[in-house]
Amino acid sequence: MPVGGPNAPQREVYLDFAAATPVDRRVLAAMQPYWSACFYNPSAPYAPARGARDAYERARSSLARLIGARPDCVVLTAGATEANNLAFATLSEDGHVVVDAIEHESVLACAASHPRKTVLVAPDGRVDPEDIRRAIRPKTELVSVELANGEIGTIQPVRQIACIVAQERARRLAAGQDRPIWLHTDASQAAGALSVEVSSLNCDLMTLSAAKIYGPKQVGLLWAADDVRLRPLIVGGGQESGLRSGTENVAGVVGFAQALELATRMRAEEVPELRRLRNLLQRRLAEEFPWAVFSGPRQDKLRLPGLLHVSFPLLDARRLVISLERRGVYVGTGSACAASRMRSSHVLDAIGVPRQVAQGSLRITIGRPTTEEDIRYAADQISEVVSGEVRRCGLTDRQLTEAGRASYNDAVLGGSRQTGGLL
Amino acid sequence: MSARVFVGLSGGVDSSLACALLVEQGYDVTAIYMRNWSRDLPGFRCPWANDLADAERVAVTVGCDLLVWDFEKEYKSTVVDYLVDSYRRGWTPNPDVMCNQTVKFGAFAERAFAQGADLIATGHYARTRQLASGATELLRAKDEHKDQTYFLWRVPGETFKRVLFPVGDFANKKEVRAACAARGLGVEGKPDSDGICFVGPVGIRTFLLDSLKQRAGDIVEWETGRVLGRHDGAFLFTVGQRRGLDLGGGPARYVVDVDTKANIVYVTSDPQSPALWTDRLQLADAHWLSRKVPAAGRYLVRSRHTGKLREALVKPDGTSSVEVILPQAMKRVACGQSAVIYDGEVCLGGGIVCGPEPVH
Repeated sequence: MPVGGPNAPQREVYLDFAAATPVDRRVLAAMQPYWSACFYNPSAPYAPARGARDAYERARSSLARLIGARPDCVVLTAGATEANNLAFATLSEDGHVVVDAIEHESVLACAASHPRKTVLVAPDGRVDPEDIRRAIRPKTELVSVELANGEIGTIQPVRQIACIVAQERARRLAAGQDRPIWLHTDASQAAGALSVEVSSLNCDLMTLSAAKIYGPKQVGLLWAADDVRLRPLIVGGGQESGLRSGTENVAGVVGFAQALELATRMRAEEVPELRRLRNLLQRRLAEEFPWAVFSGPRQDKLRLPGLLHVSFPLLDARRLVISLERRGVYVGTGSACAASRMRSSHVLDAIGVPRQVAQGSLRITIGRPTTEEDIRYAADQISEVVSGEVRRCGLTDRQLTEAGRASYNDAVLGGSRQTGGLL
Repeated sequence: MSARVFVGLSGGVDSSLACALLVEQGYDVTAIYMRNWSRDLPGFRCPWANDLADAERVAVTVGCDLLVWDFEKEYKSTVVDYLVDSYRRGWTPNPDVMCNQTVKFGAFAERAFAQGADLIATGHYARTRQLASGATELLRAKDEHKDQTYFLWRVPGETFKRVLFPVGDFANKKEVRAACAARGLGVEGKPDSDGICFVGPVGIRTFLLDSLKQRAGDIVEWETGRVLGRHDGAFLFTVGQRRGLDLGGGPARYVVDVDTKANIVYVTSDPQSPALWTDRLQLADAHWLSRKVPAAGRYLVRSRHTGKLREALVKPDGTSSVEVILPQAMKRVACGQSAVIYDGEVCLGGGIVCGPEPVH
């Protein structure tokens, strides 16, 4: 008898919205005219091209309005990674940067080629603004702290960090030092759940992505306050005021504007629902597996509403993902590449999750189309798969609890890591 | 208690089916993903992540454990260094032969047996036969077009006693793919990799340019000594090669000889040039699976993977060199390649081609 055999799952539940979101049908409809009907190069001189140009600039204006900024301060890019790279291109040759240890790879990779200080985070992933203050040096030109972390969901105190950066700026002004210092925040993972108004965040640069808010991939923006001097990374025809050459992605940017519009409008009703479903899932898993370890802040207001990071100590997340995939449930392991390289993720390393706990980590992210039925189905499947693996590996509750407790003790010492308790 | 088998699982079609078959046959199976080469370049995506994911999927589907074993050190010190060294000398080595000898049937086998395996298995297309004497012979696969014994001639012969080749009996690759699909292994659509266990998508050229000092030199016409053009490193060329010479038109030209010391590539426009053909092979570094040097005589010889099996007079000299005399001239074989010798379907062993050099 052959061992496997294809078997269609009962139901398909996608729970990896932090990795990619489906394009919302309203976004798709908004983009539709700009593929074939109004396909013109916005720079072309004849009248019909004007339609493309106007749509593009209208989209830029809506994006600017939605983040509370001026349209001419928005640089449209091919995604958040490019926007992050562009933010780091403001640095002068000997400019020093301050980042935290759980930033997205694109930020950490940019920072790696500059003199830098990487500040550590608390066990719940939070950056202490005072650590940022201590890390700033006379040559620091850029502080980059994300608005929310995409792996464990931690929301960072960007506003408080902005105050510290402003104080340093004031100090330099008073001392007659003319080296600038800016605060950059990557808000890619946050835009669906939090306000991304730059005036209230008080940052100087902000990255957004369309791909995480039900818009198209490879579309993003960098907003920069008008006193920040940007330097182009991609030169050519001088589009985007010379800051990002290349024929404008009209359809993509129109879709981005529509996506951010929807995200902003629906936020008030969407966030509580995401939170409710996430907490439902967390409760189910915590009841079933009291030894499971949940990472990220305990308080709901300090973490992304649709994200649940759970570790099943001593189990292998890759096996769990495959078993779940066979049952139609698609979840992430955090940073896919890190997991497959047999390295634990830099985020889990930074918050001190021991390896034997980290290796069994799932990042489950809920999105706009997710229903309570989906969550119940997913919870059932996760329970069965995890129980199955526990049996297969012959692990006892006691071993699992001890493996999980190792990290619980760290968390208690660290102060704020949650364990499998109820919310 | 069923026998414990450690199977090398790469996530490819053949090893995946091998793994599934062993589980079905009732063995106590542990799958091992061998990590041999993972040069992590900054900003590059981990190239082997997808293979590992496929391997994991297969392991979960058939219900066995998958471990990842790191052989990077062994691979580097035997296969990679050997490869770079050979190319530096102007030879064209066969890294898969080395990989099987030192990694798959070397370090992997050793570690598996040390950890309690009774047997090891791979997805190679090959078969073994137990003789009454207790010895084990290596036989070509049932599918002659896929036979991989060409890559196995340097493996220590006694190892085969404890080796299983579950796909060696399959009549063809189509059947293998169908068998994968029937089991829902999810790998049946993957392309054949034909034993390229090296550098993957990077390509040997890119790798060599990175590892060896590239320097421009002359392309010289073999017959006349006339300089026809320039090349960017003699080590990049091999006997018989036609492409990549970039001589700007004219007749097709073939590489006749590569002199890495003088950094000269010799070419000819005459496909019948005696320098391109040979009627014998000199082999060095001979290895015999039974550890017994066979008597001189007529055997079958293969000088490339799935290449033609030619009947030839094989004369081992008792040390480590062998002379092979061919009934008809064949295209000259690059130094560094393997010549494998068969008695009927039994693989006896072989040697590394080291001559003859072309004569003016």
